[in-house]
Amino acid sequence: MVNGYAPSGMREALDILSKTSAIPYAGGTDLMIQEVPADTNYLFLHRIRDLKCITVDAEYFICGACCTYTELLNSRHTPDLLKEAIARIAAPAIRNTATIGGNVANASPKADAALILMVTDTLVRIQSKNGVRIVPISDLYLGRGQIDLLPGELITEFWMPNNRAHLPHSYEKVGGRKALAISRVSFAGISDVSDGQITHFATAFGAVSDVIIRRPELDALLIGKSIEEAKVAKEEYLAKMDETLVPIQGRVSAAYRKAVCMNFLEDFLAKNGI
Amino acid sequence: MHKISNSVTKKDHDEKVSGSVKYVGDYPQIGMLHGKLIRSSYAHARILGVQTPELPEGYFLVDHRDIAGENIVHVVQDDSPAYADGEVHYRGEPIAMLVGPNEEETTRYARLTEVTYEVLPAILDVEESETVFFDYHYERGEMEQAFSDADQIFEEVFYTGYQEQVYLETQGMIAEYKEGHVTVRGSLQCPYYVHGAVAKVLGLTPDKVRIVQETTGGGFGGKEAFPSFLAAQTAVAAVKAQGKPVRVVFDRREDMEFTSKRHPSKSTYKVAVKDGKVTAMDIDVIFNAGAFTTLSPVVLQRGIIAAPGVYNVPNVNVRGRAVRTHTVPTGAYRGFGAPQTFFAVERMMDHIAKALDVDTLTFKRAHLVKQGDQTSTSGIYHYPVPLPAMIDDVLDRSGYLKKRKNYEKAGIERDRHGIGLSLWFHGAGFTGSGERDFIKAKVALQKTADGKVEILASNSDIGQGIKTTFAKIVASELSIPYEEIRISNPDTSRVPDSGPTVASRSLMIVGELLRRAAIHLRSEWREGEAQRVEEHFVEPEFMIPFRLDDFHGDAYPTYAWGVAAVEVKVDALTGVNEVVGCWSAFDVGTPIDLNVVVGQMEGGVLQGLGYASMEQMNYDKDGRIRNNSLSDYLIPTAMDVSHLDVQMHIEEYPYGPYGAKGAGELPLVGIPAAYVAAMEQAVSFPFSHIPLTAEETLVALSGQSAREAQKT
Repeated sequence: MVNGYAPSGMREALDILSKTSAIPYAGGTDLMIQEVPADTNYLFLHRIRDLKCITVDAEYFICGACCTYTELLNSRHTPDLLKEAIARIAAPAIRNTATIGGNVANASPKADAALILMVTDTLVRIQSKNGVRIVPISDLYLGRGQIDLLPGELITEFWMPNNRAHLPHSYEKVGGRKALAISRVSFAGISDVSDGQITHFATAFGAVSDVIIRRPELDALLIGKSIEEAKVAKEEYLAKMDETLVPIQGRVSAAYRKAVCMNFLEDFLAKNGI
Repeated sequence: MHKISNSVTKKDHDEKVSGSVKYVGDYPQIGMLHGKLIRSSYAHARILGVQTPELPEGYFLVDHRDIAGENIVHVVQDDSPAYADGEVHYRGEPIAMLVGPNEEETTRYARLTEVTYEVLPAILDVEESETVFFDYHYERGEMEQAFSDADQIFEEVFYTGYQEQVYLETQGMIAEYKEGHVTVRGSLQCPYYVHGAVAKVLGLTPDKVRIVQETTGGGFGGKEAFPSFLAAQTAVAAVKAQGKPVRVVFDRREDMEFTSKRHPSKSTYKVAVKDGKVTAMDIDVIFNAGAFTTLSPVVLQRGIIAAPGVYNVPNVNVRGRAVRTHTVPTGAYRGFGAPQTFFAVERMMDHIAKALDVDTLTFKRAHLVKQGDQTSTSGIYHYPVPLPAMIDDVLDRSGYLKKRKNYEKAGIERDRHGIGLSLWFHGAGFTGSGERDFIKAKVALQKTADGKVEILASNSDIGQGIKTTFAKIVASELSIPYEEIRISNPDTSRVPDSGPTVASRSLMIVGELLRRAAIHLRSEWREGEAQRVEEHFVEPEFMIPFRLDDFHGDAYPTYAWGVAAVEVKVDALTGVNEVVGCWSAFDVGTPIDLNVVVGQMEGGVLQGLGYASMEQMNYDKDGRIRNNSLSDYLIPTAMDVSHLDVQMHIEEYPYGPYGAKGAGELPLVGIPAAYVAAMEQAVSFPFSHIPLTAEETLVALSGQSAREAQKT
């Protein structure tokens, strides 16, 4: 027996969320396998059209939190980097129902779509009955499974900056097999190099720690430098990254995760001529 | 190809495609009691007491004190209790069953039942085992002479891990006891094995025990011996339930953690080489049997008979031991001991060729057995050995020779390529004289007055299509449309004992009995009259009788053959590989249905690749298997091999129906060796164990020994 609400509009959904402890339910691919108390209530979001938009404006690629992976894969607006990551998530049946909002709200360090949102410094639009706030996605994660949402708040949209979404990129995923595989290590990098100058450089590592690792302050060591200058800074950059990446032991060893992360990072540097 | 090979719609096609077929778990709950096993929390302990919470009416506990017969589940020997009495020998050993009308409540009361223990020291490592369950030995030729004459002697140790069957349907059983008779219905391979086991535990005469195979969602050996345990436990509960049926269905974790799986192995090979040829093999094989003997003697027999591979080695000394540890009893899994030793011998031959600096395939070809040669057990390969032609075919389709040469240079790019090849056989049917001495298979055909014919045999369709192939054979001999031949799931109250559904025997042995029965019926056919014909197993005259005491004679009447090339691409940044393709050739004699056989071959190849790569299972220091879910124990998906190319070669066996031999187990057996050979070439590192992980591969790429890295 499943109890819940199935509002048809945003206002109604936020109203229910303000009054109850119902758990927002998007695709349900994570929730439906969880054992919960019999009196658990769900807020089913599938009827809310506002959460399904996919569009671009002058500054952002914007998608609703309840867009399924399949919908994102099929949209001409979705940046290639995001498509690359999504195409390797689970299998078609899961991708037909699982949503990008669910991937973020689940707050798993292994979330593959969230890794792309992190590396592109995507903004998250959060709505409640009392208003709207927009925060960088990195501010949202507090720890494994913990997300900085207040009671009554719902993630509604993701705003990925266009000047990040379409940069040259690298996406890597290590899974236990070719499909239906949870990431054991994942990596995303984007870079903007023109006329030998690095104007942007960002990296993110998934599935190695409690949260997705993104260290803009370290990536900044390379930004604003020429390729030649970056080569000089490379050693310090790699050393600091090495220090900051402290993987946890899981289905693979911490040492393996570390080695693969550093391999991916060096490979990404090499691809950029650094 | 024989016209019988043309594929038909499988007998169980419609009911399975439509989803209308019922499995054990699908029967209505009304009036049914649920059973939940209470299991040992320790690998080795003395049971001091079992205390249930206060149970409401209708709920009760079942344990060894409820057993009216003997507290023994008969497999090969009689050492395994149905319910532990006094002492437990592995983590998860059944101590009792909580039974009640509501499934959730039953599970809750089972969890609340407290068992107190005195913990005893547990032995988990085979190297530390003090109990050798079985110790076999055979020898041929002049070992000492061969080793003293040798130019070179090579020695290496090989390891293989657990493999879990992961049948789609978990183990399940329903038992009902009424008026002194018990009926057990379940997901199982061998109705008469279960029949014997249940009769013994309940202390009933055979006529009071009825076993019905329900539609079974896969077995792969995992439902050969294990259902005898679950049936015995559930039947004891049914006796106490006084007329109400009791059902036990395992959840996936329970099934993965506590049911039998493939024996982990350690095989030591010492090989003498003289003038570029192998002159002697001295082989020592150790299997981890787990806590009880179950099927270990026969698994070990097949394993050590296969230990010298497809090579004609004049001097052979083989010792095999199955040793006891305080872990879950291991058992049957497709290949039955042979995948372990074929992995070892194929790696050994590759490594020797490498050391001698000769092409490995040329080296292997120079040693191949042929028709008329002696087998490892001084029997004879009575029939043609089609390996040379099969090798040529695989080389041709895979482009092996060119690729092998191109990939030989150590790579520097991110993608590292490798291709490997392996050769193997699978002895068709039971090892030794089992058919003649123990099974004594019997089948019947029942004809009604209006001319409808029903097949009566105890072999179960576990997805391998035996209902279809049996019906095709009988239809063909009687010239009756295949669709009109009747065959149901076996029920021991109706079918004679045609033996178990194991050892790639059903089609070859029982299919031939049915063919002869059909000819018999055809010759005596009387219109408008009900008739019944029976047929009994007769050992082919050409067989050299097999002696188990010194492993002498024909271990198998004939052999199925396999050749496979596997190509991989390894990512040097991660150690992760992609199987680019697998090209294989199989000889199982005449395929009685080509679609069925090709499906079997493809499935077996994929299981072999999983066994060698991603299927990792081990126990921790407390003897607990942690990889007990499908997210922790991965099996390959259709995405994991982009190109699976199977070709059949047909070497007819005159004593099998239309020339058919054993097929079911063959495809898995030699695949791991080909896969690891490809990995070795790709990363330029010798490997001697499976499963071979991405992590170990990455370490090997950095030059360190993979096993050493694993230990640190």
